[in-house]
Amino acid sequence: MPSAIEVYNLTKIYRGGVLAVDDISFTVERGEIFGFLGPNGAGKSTTIKVLIGLLKPTKGRLLINGVDIAKRPGEIKRATGYAAQETAIDDRLTCMENIYLQGRFYHLSKREILARSAEVLKMFDLYDRRNDLTATFSGGMLKRLDIAEALIHRPQILFLDEPTLGLDVQTRKTIWEYIKRLREEQGMTIFLTTHYMEEADVLCDRVAIIDRGKIKALDRPEALKAQIGGDIVIARFSALDGSIPQEALEAIRGLPQVRGIEPKRDGAYWIVVNQDGDKLIPAIFSICGQAGVSIESISLKKPSLDDVYLHFTGREMREEEASAEAHIRARIMRGRIRRR
Amino acid sequence: MIYLLSDTWFVAWRELLKFFRARVRLVVSLIQPVVWLAFMGNMMRGLTSNPVTAKALGTENYLAFMTPGIILMTVLFGGVFGGVSIVWDRRIGYLEKLLAAPISRGAIPFGKMLAAMIQGAIQVVAIIIIASLLGVRFQTGPAGIALIVLIAMLFSTILSGLSLALSASIKTMETLMAIVNFVTLPLMFTSNALFPLAAMPPWLAAIAKVNPVSYAVGPIRALTLTGWNWEVILPGLGVILGLALLALLVAQYIFQRATTE
Repeated sequence: MPSAIEVYNLTKIYRGGVLAVDDISFTVERGEIFGFLGPNGAGKSTTIKVLIGLLKPTKGRLLINGVDIAKRPGEIKRATGYAAQETAIDDRLTCMENIYLQGRFYHLSKREILARSAEVLKMFDLYDRRNDLTATFSGGMLKRLDIAEALIHRPQILFLDEPTLGLDVQTRKTIWEYIKRLREEQGMTIFLTTHYMEEADVLCDRVAIIDRGKIKALDRPEALKAQIGGDIVIARFSALDGSIPQEALEAIRGLPQVRGIEPKRDGAYWIVVNQDGDKLIPAIFSICGQAGVSIESISLKKPSLDDVYLHFTGREMREEEASAEAHIRARIMRGRIRRR
Repeated sequence: MIYLLSDTWFVAWRELLKFFRARVRLVVSLIQPVVWLAFMGNMMRGLTSNPVTAKALGTENYLAFMTPGIILMTVLFGGVFGGVSIVWDRRIGYLEKLLAAPISRGAIPFGKMLAAMIQGAIQVVAIIIIASLLGVRFQTGPAGIALIVLIAMLFSTILSGLSLALSASIKTMETLMAIVNFVTLPLMFTSNALFPLAAMPPWLAAIAKVNPVSYAVGPIRALTLTGWNWEVILPGLGVILGLALLALLVAQYIFQRATTE
């Protein structure tokens, strides 16, 4: 059986000359939840849009279920479902009317739509509200309806572009449960993009870190975390005279499993350990006891995908730190501003 | 082909559902022609009491003269909403959703045009009923009225095609509305929809003669006032049909181009 998605050397340059995706290749297996992790304007949405046929690739070969998307676009569209980053629900129609139209646009018969919409709306806990205008729905409900709509034609592969963007923590967790159930109950292949580390960590079997159109790393979340090394012990010392406990720090640095010590601006020290940071803590205590340095606080930090991201891109992934240019890029890619 | 038809219908169905759901809009769009006919028609009644102007108008009932103008004006403004709805769909992301579905691309502009056409037809029928109640006698009877509705529908296609073509490159509602007003109002007032050619200064009459609105007014006015005057009806119908087909093709082509990247 062919893989669900195969991408070879995909490049996408927009008409205005913006290079959105720069020669990327990857494969997604059947039944896998695969995540693209990266900031706004990294090329995540562009990759999805090329895969479902909304955009034409500038270069590259793309296969869905082993079928070249350039050759049979109609077949690809029927095999895939897509929920865009911005929830596209017509709020002047009811829940049922929205999903009914979606079914019709996928050429299902009225009977099929009625049966399947009942099924998906029940799964997403919207069945009781099916005859309400969607203008009365909350953000989380709209997102659920949007994903439910993407399932009406029973796709084998589901593309979710930022499925939990702008939702509160509780709603986000609910959406995660739905996504997990889709894979468990129906064996669906799911390709999602996110800029939430936690989301990629909790949901994805494999994650690709994408930045400025390039894939910087691709592996299981645990493997990615392991690549950047082990745990971090965060310690705060208080010497009696308020000076820096040089002697004690030197001794800690000398311990065999310690890779290095970084002083932080807030006065804490990050002690980077190869592995098993918890076993190092007693050793630190005994060194400090001998040197007459008292420990104010000590904690253990396991590496997160945040750290992984920082490691592979050299940047922190925070929206407010994105440059103005990155924002404009992101907006051009979403087609919100004119290119000419 | 069967999919093109069904896709077009469901794109239109969505618009119609919203048209009938927005009660206020529905009521206003039906009251508007009443206001025009009742007030404007009464105000101008003085014109027809003068035998010279009555001759220029071709009737002693200004209301009857004006009804074709009101029909086209209503359809004109209705047709323009085809483009507005595309701009709106782009805003809320619905357009992308349509494009991601395996529907025929042409179904999107065609569906919007069909919706404008059906909405226009409903409004035209309402105007004809109101005008009849106000004493306008349609000389050609039910068959003529059917043809009037058909011409109005074709005319609506020209306008919705134009606005769809514009909306392909215009991303904000305000700009589109400004351009549309810039086009539609002069189009209306440089035609013979509300005033007879004979009463216009020569330069205006020259513009009015080539104005597509006048081509639609001609047959509708003949059907209302004089009868089956084929010499007027056929050329007007021909031009309107030609322009409607052209608008259909242009809108489809431009839409196709604007949504391929």
